[in-house]
Amino acid sequence: MKEALTPVQTLNAHPDSRCWFVSWSPTGTLLASCGGDKAIRIWGREGDSWICKTVLQDGHQRTVRRVAWSPCGKYLASASFDATTCIWKKKNDDFESLTVLEGHENEVKSVAWAPSGNLLATCSRDKSVWVWEVDEEDEYECVTVVNSHTQDVKHIVWHPNQELLASASYDNNVCIYKEEDDDWECKATLQGHTSTVWSLAFDATGQRLASCSDDRTVKIWKESPNESGQGDVSWKCVCTLSGYHRRTVYDISWCRLTGALATACGDDAVRVFKEDETADPEQPVFSLAAQVTKAHSQDVNCVTWNPKEAGLLASCSDDGDITIWRFQEED
Amino acid sequence: MASHFSGVLQLTDLDDFITPSQECVKPVKVEKKKGKSVAKIQIEDDGSYFQVNQDGGKQKLEKAKITLSDCLACSGCITSAESVLITQQSHEELLKVLHNNKASDTEQKVVVVSVSPQSRASIAAHFDLSSSEAGRRLTSFFKGLGVHYVFETSFSRTFSLLESQREFVERFQRKEQDSKVLPMLTSACPGWICYAEKTHGEFILPYVSTTRSPQQMMGSLVKGYFAEQQGLSPQQIYHVAVMPCFDKKLEASRSDFYLSEAETREVDCVITSGEVQKMLEEKNVSLNDVEPAPLDTVLSSVSGDEFLNHSGSGSGGYLHHVFTYAAKQLFGEEVKELTYKTLKNKDFQEVTLERDGVVLLCFASTYGFRNIQNLVQKLKRGKSPYHFVEVMACPSGCLNGGGQVKPSPAQNPKELLQKVEELYKAERLLSPEEDTHVAELYQSWLHGVGEEKAKELLHTHYHTVQKMTNGLAMKW
Amino acid sequence: MEEKALEVYDVIRSIRDPEKPNTLEELDVVTEKCVEVQELGDDEYLIIIKFSPTVPHCSLATLIGLCLQVKLQRCLPFKHKLEIYISEGTHSTEEDINKQINDKERVAAAMENPNLREIVEQCVTEPDD
Repeated sequence: MKEALTPVQTLNAHPDSRCWFVSWSPTGTLLASCGGDKAIRIWGREGDSWICKTVLQDGHQRTVRRVAWSPCGKYLASASFDATTCIWKKKNDDFESLTVLEGHENEVKSVAWAPSGNLLATCSRDKSVWVWEVDEEDEYECVTVVNSHTQDVKHIVWHPNQELLASASYDNNVCIYKEEDDDWECKATLQGHTSTVWSLAFDATGQRLASCSDDRTVKIWKESPNESGQGDVSWKCVCTLSGYHRRTVYDISWCRLTGALATACGDDAVRVFKEDETADPEQPVFSLAAQVTKAHSQDVNCVTWNPKEAGLLASCSDDGDITIWRFQEED
Repeated sequence: MASHFSGVLQLTDLDDFITPSQECVKPVKVEKKKGKSVAKIQIEDDGSYFQVNQDGGKQKLEKAKITLSDCLACSGCITSAESVLITQQSHEELLKVLHNNKASDTEQKVVVVSVSPQSRASIAAHFDLSSSEAGRRLTSFFKGLGVHYVFETSFSRTFSLLESQREFVERFQRKEQDSKVLPMLTSACPGWICYAEKTHGEFILPYVSTTRSPQQMMGSLVKGYFAEQQGLSPQQIYHVAVMPCFDKKLEASRSDFYLSEAETREVDCVITSGEVQKMLEEKNVSLNDVEPAPLDTVLSSVSGDEFLNHSGSGSGGYLHHVFTYAAKQLFGEEVKELTYKTLKNKDFQEVTLERDGVVLLCFASTYGFRNIQNLVQKLKRGKSPYHFVEVMACPSGCLNGGGQVKPSPAQNPKELLQKVEELYKAERLLSPEEDTHVAELYQSWLHGVGEEKAKELLHTHYHTVQKMTNGLAMKW
Repeated sequence: MEEKALEVYDVIRSIRDPEKPNTLEELDVVTEKCVEVQELGDDEYLIIIKFSPTVPHCSLATLIGLCLQVKLQRCLPFKHKLEIYISEGTHSTEEDINKQINDKERVAAAMENPNLREIVEQCVTEPDD
C-alpha cells in the first residue's frame, strides 16, 4: 500500500506569531484560523489555491486560542485568553461581532457548538466548563457551570449526534457530561493519561473517543454499558498508541469520512494512523500510515480533516503557518 | 481536599486548595536591616528558618502570618482562607472557650449560641424530629456543655425582613432619580457578596441591599442590646452562630462586623449544622436521647415551646415579604398568595404584580452560580426587567447550604433536601410586622424606626476588592 | 555539545531574580552544570535546564521558570526544543511547577498578562541594554 501525505499549500497565516488553531466550515469551503496576533483569518479557495478572504480583528484583547463554526455555518465563535468568547455572524463575505460572552475568570481555552446549534460550550483555566443556550434572538444564556476538573480545562468536544459533551484537562483526565434533571452533570471520568490531555476527537458514530496528551500517547476510549447494567455508561480505554510521538501530542482529528486519525505533535510532525479493519472491535489496532517529520519548522498545534473532501487535511504551527495536505490512501 | 464553600466561591479564582503556609503568595514586607549583608538562610530539621550572618551569628526568622481578614482583602484566592478558618472558627474553638470557663474562676465568658432555622431543620431531618423539637433538644445539649443562652435567628431575621422592606420601598421611590437603586439585590448570602465584591465590585455593589443578614443582625443584638441589658461589655460575651453555610464564617470575619472599641467580633465564631452534628458524635450523644429544654425567649421568636418561622423561600423569604409589603405600600394591593413562575430552571423564578395588563412589580429569585451569571450579564446589558432579586449562591438556596448535615450513604440527597424543606415549612408562621417584641426593641433600643441608630446597627457596607496587580503574587 | 551548553548558559546566567537585585548565577539558581544539550537532528537541539530555587517553597519558582523560557526563546540563535525543570529535591511542589513551566499555552497566556510581563521583562533585560 502506498500512502502518503503531500503538501498542497503553505500559508504564512499569522506572521511573527503562533497559529494556534484552524477549523473548516461545515461545508468544507472555508477555513478559519486564529493565533497569538489576536486575529482570526478566514481562508477560501480561489482556483487552485487558498487565499485570505477576511481578517477579523479587534474582537479580542489577547491571543485567540480557538475558533468554532456553528453547524449551519452562519456563525463563528472564538475563544480567547482575554477571558471572553466572541460570537461572529456571517454577512455575505464578511463577519460582524454579534455578542461577547463573559463570565470565565481567566483564559478561555476552547469553544464548541452542539450538533443542534442551540448549545455552545466553553472551557477555561478557571477549571470550569460552561454550556450556553442560544435563543431565536441570538441571545445567549448560561445553562450550566460544571466544575469536574481540578485544573485548567484545555478542550471540549460535542458528540456528533447526541447532547453529550467531553472535556480534556491539565489534571490528566477526560470528563463526559450529560444533562440530568435540570442541570448538567459529569457522568464519567476517563483516567489513564499520565499528563495533560490536550485534545479530543469523536469518531463518526460517537461510540469512540480519541484523546492525545503531553504523555506522548494517543488513547482510544470506547463506550460500554455499565457492568451493573443500569444508569451511567462507562468509557474504557481500548487502545493506546505509544512510541510514535517524540513530544507532546497537541491535537488529534478523526476523519468522519475515512476513519483516518491524524495527530499534531510538538516534535514538528504530522502523522496519520489507519485502523486495521479486521481487528476485534474491543481491541482495535491502529498503524502509522503516513508521517511528515518536518511538517512545520516548530510545534504543530492543530490538525483537522476537511468534513466534505476526503483526505484533505489542514495543520498549523508555532511558526505561524498553515499547511494544507492531501492524504493519498493508495495509487 | 474538597472545598466546603458554596459553588460561587469555588468558581472564580477563589479556590486553589492551598494552605497559606505553603502557597499563599501574599507578599510580606521584609524589614531590611542596614549593612551589606550577604546572609544565608538555613533551614532546621523542624522546618524553622534561620538567617546566618557573615559573622556566623544566627537569627530565627519569623513566619509570615496570614489572617482571615488578609484573605478577604486579597483577590488571589479564598480557600487558603479555609485552613485559616478552621483554626479561627470551628466547634473546637467553642469547646475551648467552654473549657476555659470551667477551668478558671476569673475571666468567664458568657457564651451565647444563635441557631438558624435552616440548621434546626437539617439537624431535625437527621434525627427524625420536628424542627421545634430539634430546637428544644439542641438548647438542652448546648446548655449541658456550659452555654449560657441559646437564641435563634428567625428573631433577628424579622429585623432583616423589616429593614429590607423599607429599604426597597425607599429605593423604588428614588428610581427615577438614580438608575443604580433598582433592582435591589439581597445581601443575606455571604458567598454571593464575596463574589460580587471580588469580581463585579463597582458595577454591582450599588444594587446590593445594605440590610444586614440575620446572622449579623443577631451580632448587633447580642453584643449591643443584650450586652447592655445584662450589664456586660461586648468582649465578655462569646457569640456563636449555627449556620447552614461555611461562607457565613467569612461574613462574621468581615471588618465591618468588628467592634474596634471593644476589640471583639459581633459574631465570634460560626459553626455549621454539620459541625454541630459532629459535636454530638464526639460527645457520643444522639439528639433522640436528649431531654428537651425550655427555650430562651430574650432574642428568639417563640410561642410557648414552639419556634416561629417566616413565609416564603427556605432562604429567608425575602422575596415574599418585600413583595407583599411593596404591593401594599406602593400600589395599595393586598397580595394573598404569590405565584412563582419557573423560568430557565427551578432555581430561577419570577413573581409579578400586574394591574390592567401593566406590570407594576417584577421580582425574581436566582439561586446558584449559573443563574447569578445570567442575572449579572442581564444587568450589564441593561436587559434586566427586575425590581428586586433574591440572590443565593447555592442551588436550591440555604436549606441546601454546604454546611448542612450530609446525607448518609444510603440517603438520596434530593429526598433529604425535600425532607428538610418540609420540616422547615412545618413551623408556625409569624409575620414580621406582628412581632411585638421586635416592635418594642425598635422603640426602646433603636429610638424608633428609620432613626440613625437603626441605620448604623442594622445596615452594613460593601467594598470593591481591587484586582491583583502584583505580578509577583499572581498565579498563571 | 558542551559548546552549545555554554552558549545556553551565557543567555541565562544574567537573568535577574524577580525579588532580589542579584542574578540567577550569583544566587546559584543556575550553574554551568545545570544545562544539558542533546542533538535532535541536523542543527536542532534539545535543551534541558535544571534550576535550584533558593528555598524549598519559594513561591517565585514558576516566575523564574517563565523568565528562563522567555529569554531562551528570544535569544538562542539555533533551533531547539526546551525543557525546564527544578533540580530534584529543591522544591516542595516540584512536579506541579515542572508541569506548569513546560506548558507552552500557560506560558503564552502568562506573557500576555501585563503585570507578569513587566516583571519578566525586568528580569530578562540585559543591564547594559
